[in-house]
Amino acid sequence: MKDRRSGPPAALAAAGLLLASTACAAAPVQTTLEQSPTTAAPAGALDTVTWMLPEEPGTLDLDGEGGTAQNTVMANTCERLMRMTPELGAVPHLAEEAGWEGDDAVVLRLNRAATFRDGTPITADDVVWSMERHAAEGASEADEYANVESIDKTGEYEVTVRMAQADAVFLPAMAGNGGIVYDRRVIEADGDAYGTPDGSDACTGPYRLAEWRSGTQVILERDEGYWNPEGAATTDRVVFRWAEQSAVVNMLATGEADGAYLDTAAAAVPLLRDETVQVFQGPSTNVWSLITTERGGLADPRLRRALSLALERDGIARAAFGGLAEPWSTPLGPGGWGYETARFRQAYDAIEGAPASPAGQDLERARALVASAGAPEEPIVVASDGEPARTVIANAVVDAARTIGLEAEIRTVPRQQYGSFYVDADLRSQVDLFADEYWISKNDPVGFYKNGASDAGVNYSGFTDPDYDELVKDAQAATDDAERAELAVELERRWSEAMVWIPVVQVPTTLAMGSHVTGAPASAAFLSGPWAAGLGAREEGER
Amino acid sequence: MIAHALRRLLGMVFTLAVSSLLIFGAMYAAPGDPVSFLVGDPENVTPERVAAVRAAYHLDEPLIVQYGLWAAGAVTGDLGTSFQYNSAVGDLILTRLPATLALVGYACVLFTVFGVALGALAAVRRGGRTDSAVTAGTTLAASIPSFVLAIALISLFGVQLGWFPVAGLGEGLLGRLHHLTLPAIALSLGSLAIVARVTRQTMAEQLDLEHVTAARASGIGEGHVVRRHVLRNALGPVVTMCGLVTASMLGGTVAIETVFGISGIGSLLVGAINTFDFPVVQAVLLYMVIAYMVVTTLIDLVHPLLDPRVRAQGSRA
Repeated sequence: MKDRRSGPPAALAAAGLLLASTACAAAPVQTTLEQSPTTAAPAGALDTVTWMLPEEPGTLDLDGEGGTAQNTVMANTCERLMRMTPELGAVPHLAEEAGWEGDDAVVLRLNRAATFRDGTPITADDVVWSMERHAAEGASEADEYANVESIDKTGEYEVTVRMAQADAVFLPAMAGNGGIVYDRRVIEADGDAYGTPDGSDACTGPYRLAEWRSGTQVILERDEGYWNPEGAATTDRVVFRWAEQSAVVNMLATGEADGAYLDTAAAAVPLLRDETVQVFQGPSTNVWSLITTERGGLADPRLRRALSLALERDGIARAAFGGLAEPWSTPLGPGGWGYETARFRQAYDAIEGAPASPAGQDLERARALVASAGAPEEPIVVASDGEPARTVIANAVVDAARTIGLEAEIRTVPRQQYGSFYVDADLRSQVDLFADEYWISKNDPVGFYKNGASDAGVNYSGFTDPDYDELVKDAQAATDDAERAELAVELERRWSEAMVWIPVVQVPTTLAMGSHVTGAPASAAFLSGPWAAGLGAREEGER
Repeated sequence: MIAHALRRLLGMVFTLAVSSLLIFGAMYAAPGDPVSFLVGDPENVTPERVAAVRAAYHLDEPLIVQYGLWAAGAVTGDLGTSFQYNSAVGDLILTRLPATLALVGYACVLFTVFGVALGALAAVRRGGRTDSAVTAGTTLAASIPSFVLAIALISLFGVQLGWFPVAGLGEGLLGRLHHLTLPAIALSLGSLAIVARVTRQTMAEQLDLEHVTAARASGIGEGHVVRRHVLRNALGPVVTMCGLVTASMLGGTVAIETVFGISGIGSLLVGAINTFDFPVVQAVLLYMVIAYMVVTTLIDLVHPLLDPRVRAQGSRA
């Protein structure tokens, strides 16, 4: 399961500058946008769309490294065995049939119509070669293949993947970077240049990679020979450029750029009043959480619950995100509910202990929990790096702690060091909590809640529960959606009961487009499906 | 002469070697760890994986060994491979350099032309209202941080009036000029103020000298006096100042590039520092040292051409 925290803190570095440059936006206001996974279908075509990325892609070889910038581009040129829908479900695509045979084999039957750029059919050999490349040691998607024992061609257009154990998230993962099918001849011809500005694109998709001018732009052109007329692109060219969020906002406001998926939701606040720009929000898995460390001040789950009960999430959403984030009770956004959505919604609504704004009874319960657990000897330390959202959250933690009779203080670390909390136990031992935006790339709660297992890499707080570990294993093996959903709900309940991490706010995917453009999904689907194919003119004759 | 050039060259090489070592040491002493970026997915972080990544990038070696590896490559022209972009550092810098050079070049023209003109105007009208206006204006201009000015310019001329693009480089010469006008103004205004003040000061000193009085007394027109006797003699300090300002600009475009979304050396450096892309940081900072040395050397070479007195001293030495 490929899960990632958000991009490097550098992506947020311009936030202060952003607020200054768009000073006309005044103080953050309470804003709520109706969320939808899609935007209106276009009425006409466009010649060129200029789309902004938060940074220049480091590489376009997604086995080298995935990331927001490179995925935003390559989702349009490199299609996968499964395809992610705007609603964040996974449906068969290059594999027109994909399913389990017994508990230990996945059989993929390929779409015989599918071809690479030069018209060569996509065969089982190509799929086997691609999957082996994804599974290779050090490849960014190798962990998707952790349970895979063998990948074999079992027909000209059929591939059988044998597993050591049933792995329910394997098929949905094939809609992600681990399911890309490559034209091996192109990659072999490219050699080391593949993925660099000198490389070519080795896939199939509605767009082809036309040019990557390092430091300047990446250009995609519609693939006229694309095999799937239903998914063909409407717009001829998509030009990707990149800049800090403040510059992106200015470019959107002046019409120099036609659209962007914004890295920080707060960046959209000044655009909300701009009639030439439309802002959309849609489902994502992103949640800002307070991640607990092994330091031990909050070792007692009662203290974690107490802190959660007293946290002013609504205020954080308004002060740090201009109202474009939502107080949230679990560490996984609703975009993670890729199946049995109604069941997950119902279970979410039943979660307690993370109020949007603590009421008197919440605070009473919190104080009672503190009284029964006893306050730690040393103050609780919450990390910040001075970045606006983290500053607001850290101050809210200190405030919440004081309200319920705990002592808390903020420890500020350099922005460049913040990411080291994930790799450096010494650094973690200096704080009890660090706030970070966390997202997963697969839309299955099991993919997140496995992080509570006692051997999980990001379970620093010492939360151990043998039943939980057992549930994780069962859930990963449960290939039946309804059954897996029940297990996931139980995991969610236990995680929340122990408050392994303290959830803060959910940040939907935030899309800004010029008023003349439409058709892009407003959900996190832009990271793995050919979202740009839907782009077009909002009204006929706009081109 | 050859000995002088050789000595100078050796001095530069020594400076480069020392500064590269200092930069290298400073980067490793800075808080944070490139592994947090290199390792990627936090859920894959295991002590073994961290160790493997460290070994792959030689981060587990002692500082001096790492420096040695880098220096050995650097002397053969291999500046290493970027951690973040996975391509040759030399190529990365070469693709970013034109943007920064164009921006600095444009800014140079602006602050030289307008700075010298304003300074000369103030000197000639010394004590008058023009002089006061220039002095007050340049004092104000010198005190505005460039990024604040940049934001104000974007807000007024980019977003509200729509006269200039707010980001990027543009295509073609005219497109580039159009795109770089606001950034160049933002970058040059503070320097323009400094150059204007230096020009005013040195010209004012010249105006008081005897040879100017003598020239005037001999009936030479005022315009000619100012051009031939005052400005010409004042050029030395002005050129030196312009050169120093340019040298500092070659490494000081970070804020402007960030605000205007220009992929130049400055934004490359910021990105590299934030992601601990050591090879890139090292190379960019060295580029800055080299740029500084080249510009100051050029000033030294140009100086005697402008001022015969310096030339005479040079020949005696």
